[in-house]
Parts: sequence; C-alpha cells; structure tokens
Amino acid sequence: MTELDESITAADVTSRQLLQAVKGFLAETVTPALNDRDQFNARVAANVIGIVQREQALGPTLSALDSAAFKKWVPDGSPGRDVVTQISQALAKREIQPDAAFLDYLKQRQLLLSAINNPRYANRVLAAEKWRHLTTESDSMADQR
Amino acid sequence: MGPETLAKHLDLVLEGLEIDHPAGTRVANLTRLSGGANNETWRFTWHETPLILRRRPFSAESIESLEGNILGLSLVDEAAIIQLATQASVPVPRIYKVFEASHPLGESFIMAFIPGESIPQQWLNTAVFSTARKGLAYECGEALAHIHTVACSQLPQSIKPNTLAHRFDGIQRRLHVFGDISPAMQFGLNWLTDHAPKEVPCVLLHGDFRTGNLLVNEQGLAGILDWELAHQGPPAEDLGYLCAHVWRFGNIEKPVGGFGEYADLLAGYRSIAGWAPDLASLQYWEIFAALNWGLVCQTMGALWHSGSGDIERAAIARRRSEAELDLIYLIDAWETV
Repeated sequence: MTELDESITAADVTSRQLLQAVKGFLAETVTPALNDRDQFNARVAANVIGIVQREQALGPTLSALDSAAFKKWVPDGSPGRDVVTQISQALAKREIQPDAAFLDYLKQRQLLLSAINNPRYANRVLAAEKWRHLTTESDSMADQR
Repeated sequence: MGPETLAKHLDLVLEGLEIDHPAGTRVANLTRLSGGANNETWRFTWHETPLILRRRPFSAESIESLEGNILGLSLVDEAAIIQLATQASVPVPRIYKVFEASHPLGESFIMAFIPGESIPQQWLNTAVFSTARKGLAYECGEALAHIHTVACSQLPQSIKPNTLAHRFDGIQRRLHVFGDISPAMQFGLNWLTDHAPKEVPCVLLHGDFRTGNLLVNEQGLAGILDWELAHQGPPAEDLGYLCAHVWRFGNIEKPVGGFGEYADLLAGYRSIAGWAPDLASLQYWEIFAALNWGLVCQTMGALWHSGSGDIERAAIARRRSEAELDLIYLIDAWETV
C-alpha cells in the first residue's frame, strides 16, 4: 500500500446514506420543534424513509420472485407489461389454480413486502416462524432492525 | 381550514346551542386529535363543557369520482346513526348539532366529550387499565348485540341492505380500478367467494368496531367512536372485524382486539341477543376484514394520488402488505386445520 492509499478516506455518500441522513434530521432536529399534529406526520415521514431504504435493499429480490412466478403461472403473458398485474388478472379470471406451490409464492412475496413496509408487524413474526422453510433474506433484513 | 378560522365559526354556532355559558364565551383549547385519516376530530372547551367536533376536511365532490370509495357515510348520516345507537343503549356521545356541507364549518357535527382513553397503546398494555381489559371483550359483545337490535327501517337512506354476492362484485371492481396490484388480495377475494356463508338477514353493523375506536376508562367500555363505516350486513361480520389481526396492535395472542378471548366476546353477545355466531363464522369474517383493510389502504393510496391528504395517507397505502400477509396466513391456517 502506498502512502497515498493510506491517506484515502470515504468521501462518497450513497443514496442509502443520504436517506439515513434525512431520517436522522427529521427525527432529531425537525420533530422536536413541531406541534403535535406535525410531530405525528414527521414521525410518519421518518418511517417512510425507512420503507424506501428497505425497498432499495429488498426490491430486486422481490422483482426476481415475481418474474419467476410470472413465467411459471402466466406463460402466455406479455413480459413488457407489469408482471404482478398480469398475475392478479389471471387469478381474477381463474386461469391460475392456486396449488401449494402458488401459495408458497404468495407467502414468500408477503414476507418480502412486509419486510420492506413494516418488519415489526406482529403477524409477520408469526408468519416468518411458520413459513421458515420459505424465508429469504427478508428475515435477516428484518432482524437487523 | 386553520384553527383560528375554525374557532370563529364555532363561536357563532355555539352561541345558539343549549350549553350553559356566560356572555362573551369563546372557544378555548381547540386541539386537533392525532389519527383519523378520513375526518378531522377536534377537541375544545365551551365555557366549562368539553366538546368534540367531527369534520370532513374535503368536499364530497372531490371523492365522488373515486370508484368504490369506502370513506363511508356522510357525517350527517353518521350523526343520525349515533342518535339511533343512543336509543339502543349503546354507549355513545350525545350529538348537539349537525351541519351540512354548505355550512361554513363544512360537513360536521358537534358532540359531547366522553372521558376515557381511545389510543390503543395507552390502554392495551398499562396496569391502570388491567381491570377494564378483563371485562372488555364481554362488554364489546354486549354492545355489538345492542347495535344489532337497531331497526333497519329507521336507518338513513344511504344504508341499504346488501348481499354478499353484490359486495364481492364491488370488491372485484375496486381491485380492477386500482390496477390489479395485489395477487394476495385477488387470491383472498377468490377464496372468500368460494367459501361464502349462506346469506343471512342483515342488521345494522358499526362497520369499524375495533381497538382504536373504543373509548375505555378504568372500569371498562366508556364509549364507541367513529361510526362512518356503518352499514348493513350479517351479525358475525362485526364480531370478526374486532378480531382482525391488524386491530390487535401487536398483541397477536389476544384474538379480541388485542385484549380479550373469543369465548368472552361471544358470551357477552349471547347475553343480550340470546344467540351468538359460531367461531368458524366469526373467523371467516376475520379473513374478510383483512381483505377490507387492504382495500382501505388501496383507497388511501388512490386518494393521495388525487391530491387529497398528507403523508399519513401515503404511508397507510403501504400498510396494504400487512393485510395481504394476514389474508395468506389466515387462509393457510383455515385450510390446514
């Protein structure tokens, strides 16, 4: 390692770190200065930033899961259109027979979605335990909170 | 409308009401209570009388175009239902005055303030309410049975009888209009349709009878709030709704609202009605309630997109994933029994 390498310090700020900074600003600086109603909304805003942070981390896994389900259960669908919408519409038309494998897809999907939107939701904890054989990185993400 | 303008309008209307006050009285301590994504709730004092204002902050026209909006009754009809509930021995606040949308206050009503705690986190887990919690499931059963005795012939025109099949059609339409974004909710609707109970005569339902809309004091149930989702339906629906996971506020092991047991709820109901739904019927409506909560979240998202509402409403739209998880979890449990 050269002398120059040793002097390098982190200078870039990722989008995830920016969100963390905004979340901290809301919680520590803005919220205490507001009236009751705006304090409530500022807490909501800080939680919303948490949702975005978790979606950044887990969104690609969710998209991959949905794409795989789309290929399996909507083989004649249009890949250019939203795959989740096409799965829902195929269900509405009763074109998908919801067997155990399909139910497993829905379980995995909801574990991921709830890990993004509200990992502390009490029934999520129960579901993650009951569906342990299906758990993915969503649980390690939830555990980090 | 800001608090100062609101207070001026309230001063004018309170002068004319039969509430004891000296000349020159002005509204005091006007405070918006937190929570409530549809209607505003304000607390204030008029001389020595604490009062509540319920007010719809947006015009009815702004939501008329929203397909299948489930924001519920007009506040005028909500006030009428509360008055009917009073006659049926249900603990509800006295209504002092009701205002149409054309009034400067907007669509709203003024009612008595009942002392008690409504914020779930305050009464669900603290020792001071432990006595109240013990008897609360039974009291809720009694109150629901009383609500269900209200004669449907007395209800406002907007609260019509409905069939389950018609409601399923409405839900399907709403899922389509909101973009078919939820495979879990579509799966839930299909399952509920396939397992629908036999149609039974409709009664008046509170429609939103849950932890969060109960006013609790140290002795027990003090009042029932937020009647905007009142509608006609089968009695088991109200009981199942109270047991929905989303309304247990984290106390998932206490099936009745996060504080009580099924047996106590049903016993309380039976003590007034002379009968009670069986547990399976109640649990069917728990699943229905999960779907319903998902629809409310979708509606909140659609309202936010239409420019109505603040960040709370946008955030509630994301809570749809809780409802979806509950749907899959409950149906999975039902199927594996």
